[in-house]
Amino acid sequence: MQDVDLRKPRTSRKALGPFQWILQVSTGIFLIFFVGVHLYLAHINFGHPIVFYNTVLENMHNPWWLLFYIAFVWIVAYHALNGVKGIIYDTGVKGRVRAAVSYGLTLAYIATVIYGTALAIAVSRIIVP
Amino acid sequence: MATGTKSLLSGSLKEGKYVFIILRTDAKGKQSYATYEVPRDKVSTVLEGLQYIENNIDRTLAVRYSCRMEICGSCGMEINGRPRMACSTIISNLHTDTLKIEPLKHYKVVRDLVVDMEPFFEKYREVKPFIIRDDDGVYKSELKQTPEQFEEYEKYSMCIKCGLCLAACPIEGTDPDYIGPAALAGVLRYNLDSRDQGKKYRLDIINGEEGTARCHFIGECSEACPKDVDPSFAIQILRVQGLKHEISKIFRRSD
Amino acid sequence: MGWFKIRHKGIGQVAYVFQRLSGLVIVFYLYLHLFVLSNLLRGQVTYNQIVSSITYGPDDLFVVFDVLLALVIFYHGANGLRLALNEMGIGLKHNKLFFFLFEGIAMVALIIFLYYAWQFIAVG
Repeated sequence: MQDVDLRKPRTSRKALGPFQWILQVSTGIFLIFFVGVHLYLAHINFGHPIVFYNTVLENMHNPWWLLFYIAFVWIVAYHALNGVKGIIYDTGVKGRVRAAVSYGLTLAYIATVIYGTALAIAVSRIIVP
Repeated sequence: MATGTKSLLSGSLKEGKYVFIILRTDAKGKQSYATYEVPRDKVSTVLEGLQYIENNIDRTLAVRYSCRMEICGSCGMEINGRPRMACSTIISNLHTDTLKIEPLKHYKVVRDLVVDMEPFFEKYREVKPFIIRDDDGVYKSELKQTPEQFEEYEKYSMCIKCGLCLAACPIEGTDPDYIGPAALAGVLRYNLDSRDQGKKYRLDIINGEEGTARCHFIGECSEACPKDVDPSFAIQILRVQGLKHEISKIFRRSD
Repeated sequence: MGWFKIRHKGIGQVAYVFQRLSGLVIVFYLYLHLFVLSNLLRGQVTYNQIVSSITYGPDDLFVVFDVLLALVIFYHGANGLRLALNEMGIGLKHNKLFFFLFEGIAMVALIIFLYYAWQFIAVG
């Protein structure tokens, strides 16, 4: 019967677990608001859903909506990629593979938010003809 | 007769007999199903059925059991697709005459229905499952505890270390390093114990990657637990305890 | 990938399996959506053409997909909210009741949403 070395824990001592958990939960709750508002605007909006080019641009010209969409991308990308990370970790990958997955998803997050923010700002600067 | 009709309906055509289909594993690891017939009037629990098989039909069947009353935690096995204790599973409650019995999932099989429980105990030892005090350990009298203080952690102290929760947990199936519901329920048992002062040591361990972070509140562990320890409940409480601990660590470090 | 199994399992595992599957669908849609929105930079005519063609899609297939997407989003949100509350210790003893209650409310909200969305489809 082998004894466990209580000084060497089975995994990394970096206790990021609680913070990642509370971030996942908080972003999830914020997303209920963001997705709710977005679905309403894009499909209902008192009978004038924001679907085609002109209405989209008009909406994006408002700086508060621009901020809304930028925040939306940052929040949704975190929640989504953190969720994917959980799914991959649960398949039992260890050590270097785990580190690679973590770096890969962090890069994906950075790429997504940069692209999303840039796209939102670019669209908001288009002059409606 | 009512029972006779039931056995015909459930697919077993043997009147007055239970059919045990057991997954056997030999010394080389080769697995195969063996079928045994056990007379219905001689046994009432699955364990009694296995003992009947051992004594009368096949002496080579390897089974772990001891107390026969759901307190030693030895006889856990998969019975008709769910992890159960063989001693407390009454066959007639399963409403079928055909029993498919396999060794507990997520553990390495040693022989037949005997599995290697060492990883389970290893995980349990890791969370320091004992009273830890910050003083010099010299006391004039015993450490007193009121009945109300005992009730705080009583539920989690009921764990018999049977290992059914790890067999039920789907995360355990794909990530065997997950510390598991039993160890985590053990953490809460000691964290809530008024005599204990070692909460911080345990939370440091379970706040890591393979601790509470791997739980997704599926709840299968609580469904499987024969003593109603409710480990999935315990783990959610530990999440908040763990977060508070991490936050307090940040403020302490800045002192 | 043993987490897929729901036979012989309780409602907790069924909820979890669908939460994960719906999450993966939504992640896929997220990137698809960003890709489609990128066409805003290609001008009014191109963008409106693309939106019109994907609103109904071949044989109205995309409308079906959109309804399924809405179902998936509402399911994921409702179950996610239940998980968020339970994991913080709220309503922990009644987690099964919370699941059915939240999902019930979500399905009613979904039907209301789909009813109004259908009326204004491709308007705007």
